[in-house]
Amino acid sequence: MDSSSKQLQSPQSMNMQSRLLAHAPFLVACSMLVVIVAIYGSLQTGVFTIDEINLNTAAAMTLMLAATGQTIVLLRGGIDLSIGGMISLGTVIAATRFGEEPANILLWSAIILAIGFGIGALTGLLISVLRLQPFLVTLAGWSILNGIALMILPTDGGKVPEWWIGSGYLEFLGLGTPVWILLALIVFWCWFRATRLCTIIKATGSSEKSAFLSGVSITRINIITYGLSGFFAALASLYLTTQIGGGSPNIGTDYILPSVAAAIIGGVSLFGGRGHLFGTIVGAYILTLIGNLVFVLRVSSYWQPVMSGVILLLAVLASSYAEQKARKRGS
Amino acid sequence: MDIVQVKGLTKRFGGIVALDGADFSARLGEVHALLGENGAGKSTFIQILSGALTHDGGDILVDGQDYRPVNPDEALGRGIAAVFQELSLVPDLSVEQNIWFRREPRTWLRTVDVAQMRQQTLELFERYHFPSIATTREVRNLTLAERQIVEVAKGLAKDPRILILDEATSALPASEATWLLSLARQLADEGRLVIFISHRMGEVRAIADRVSVFRNGSTVATHDAAAVSDDQIVTEMIGRQLARLYPERVDTATDRVALQVRDFSSPPMLNGVNFDLREGEVLGVGGLQGHGQREMFQSLFGADKALGSITLWGKPVRFDTPRQALSGSEGIALVPEDRRGQGLLLSKSVRENLALPVIRRFSHFGLLDQRKETELVRETMKSLSIKADTPEQIAGTLSGGNQQKVIFGKMLMTQARVLLLYDPTRGVDVGTKGEIFQLMRQLASEGYAILFYSSDLPELVNVADRVMVLRSGRVARMLEGDDITEEEILRAAVFDSEAA
Repeated sequence: MDSSSKQLQSPQSMNMQSRLLAHAPFLVACSMLVVIVAIYGSLQTGVFTIDEINLNTAAAMTLMLAATGQTIVLLRGGIDLSIGGMISLGTVIAATRFGEEPANILLWSAIILAIGFGIGALTGLLISVLRLQPFLVTLAGWSILNGIALMILPTDGGKVPEWWIGSGYLEFLGLGTPVWILLALIVFWCWFRATRLCTIIKATGSSEKSAFLSGVSITRINIITYGLSGFFAALASLYLTTQIGGGSPNIGTDYILPSVAAAIIGGVSLFGGRGHLFGTIVGAYILTLIGNLVFVLRVSSYWQPVMSGVILLLAVLASSYAEQKARKRGS
Repeated sequence: MDIVQVKGLTKRFGGIVALDGADFSARLGEVHALLGENGAGKSTFIQILSGALTHDGGDILVDGQDYRPVNPDEALGRGIAAVFQELSLVPDLSVEQNIWFRREPRTWLRTVDVAQMRQQTLELFERYHFPSIATTREVRNLTLAERQIVEVAKGLAKDPRILILDEATSALPASEATWLLSLARQLADEGRLVIFISHRMGEVRAIADRVSVFRNGSTVATHDAAAVSDDQIVTEMIGRQLARLYPERVDTATDRVALQVRDFSSPPMLNGVNFDLREGEVLGVGGLQGHGQREMFQSLFGADKALGSITLWGKPVRFDTPRQALSGSEGIALVPEDRRGQGLLLSKSVRENLALPVIRRFSHFGLLDQRKETELVRETMKSLSIKADTPEQIAGTLSGGNQQKVIFGKMLMTQARVLLLYDPTRGVDVGTKGEIFQLMRQLASEGYAILFYSSDLPELVNVADRVMVLRSGRVARMLEGDDITEEEILRAAVFDSEAA
């Protein structure tokens, strides 16, 4: 009865393998990060110190925050290009309205976050009501917000107070502000991914029709996901002002594609339903560290986008390979 | 008093009248079967009942109170849940996540209580004797039959007073179908109302207390199941006497072997299949589900890999992709299992669907000869009597039977003369089934060679010239002539008749 014992064994080993396969894109991203850190560490001294972690996390934080919102939208099966406009708008509002008064700054920070959520929610509503492609609606949104940012502040400038800039460089238990923000993001995601809402978002991204038939209001999910994306873009803009010390009406554009790339490299599916923030965080680190690598390798900085592109390709290849394998196994 | 009372229900989609004054009533504690051809209005009716659509006119009373749900949640609020034929499961979520979707038990942190959810799932499975399915598997990795079972679990998890089963047995192999029928009976005995749609008269006979027949958007009659004959129901369904469901079996097979398959293997599902399919023959494929039938069809078509040799019209061939299988007149064409997913581009027109696989035939130096294309498309539509307004009608708006015919047409346009039909009548109404069988026989007499798998045993018995029964990825028996009976097929599928 050779066949019966085989049947008893195979489901479990298959289960193990298919589980590994399901996480393959994330594992690939982690190994890429390890390789990059190893190369970086072998060329540069002092890479594995807390200072260096603080520094790199600071460099990656704006991207991480922007990519957090992007991840949520991608899980829903959408894409948000308008975050570029929102980040620019956030920095110029901060640079022109903050002044010196802490109470005022707190108020305007809240307003910026509210604008971020509100504009995102409106975007989501438009996508649902007008039944338009998210790509086009958010592309238009980016352009509009960028234009408004330019009206508020035509060139780089304005200012935020010294103590606000300093708040980006505080240290507690040796860990800098950005590392604490990162830890907060991780805690947030550990909670968020276990909520019903996250299941519904993923379900909508996986199959909008199934979700609808199961009673999900697609409009509501669009409002929430694009709203959260706008909120995180606004949060990214507030953090960014501590880094650049003022406003910059075009700066957000630099984060649009990297925010998508970070998520994809980390294993989030461009077609919705699969992935998580931890992958995106790894992706954001990879994209940031490539910049450092280019610097220590002493090659032209033009190599940075080339390497980012190659890594994005590798990541996509890895996930599509895993997908095919998993499908074979499943069928 | 009847819990559901429907009077003069109407529903239009643009110019098409889907429901034209349907009446219906049903009471708790019964299994109430809905019968009718595809397009008769059953689907629209249950979609309105379950809140997926709203009606234009007429009244629905539930518990004697007006009922007009605008979404499935509202329907559930009144105790009505539906198990849809178009599966509502989310592929990227697990079985248990799907069953309790949006109603998961939660912890004080508002997160999903996974342990509790698993517990509830196991209790549900046990209470209703569900076939075993691992609760943590992702639905994308399940077979169609397993998905259907999960869909039933999802409906039951809502603890509805009224459960609608829309062709829930059509995707199930015999043993699971039997389970579902006894489940429906159990639910009715618990005091619920089960509204049951099936195209299989035997099932309706087995469990239904009453039967309502739909035709052309309204209800023709409601009968006590015990007091009405099959003939009368069929006559009411189609509005005329049906000549016969199964065409006369004329032996048109020649001695010429169209498809010779040797040592065809793809472990663990296929373990060395050997058979000859002759010109003009309909060779049936039977067996319990999951014994290699699907893998055999996929591999023969080049969609999956397999070892072994295939000889097509005397020439050894090897197909690594469907494109190779389809190329030229010496090819193989497949009607796949999941017509919505694999066989048909639902958002494209009938013309595009038909012409796509053979687009090269209409192209000259990269330019499309549209007149020739339209001509051939019209010809195919006519020869298969596909009911579409124009070749430009979107395939997704056709009825299930007509969608199936488009897939047949697509296959015929490839000029392949070996045809693989994988459960081509699943979810198809009686009238269209008859037409499909007719068509199969006609094609066989024209020299086509047809390999025909069906999950419905009577179809194999009445249509196929020979039936090969697969068990554990091997041909357990090849039945011919008078040996082709439901009993023999089942016996070969279940018991050892030769050393494995």
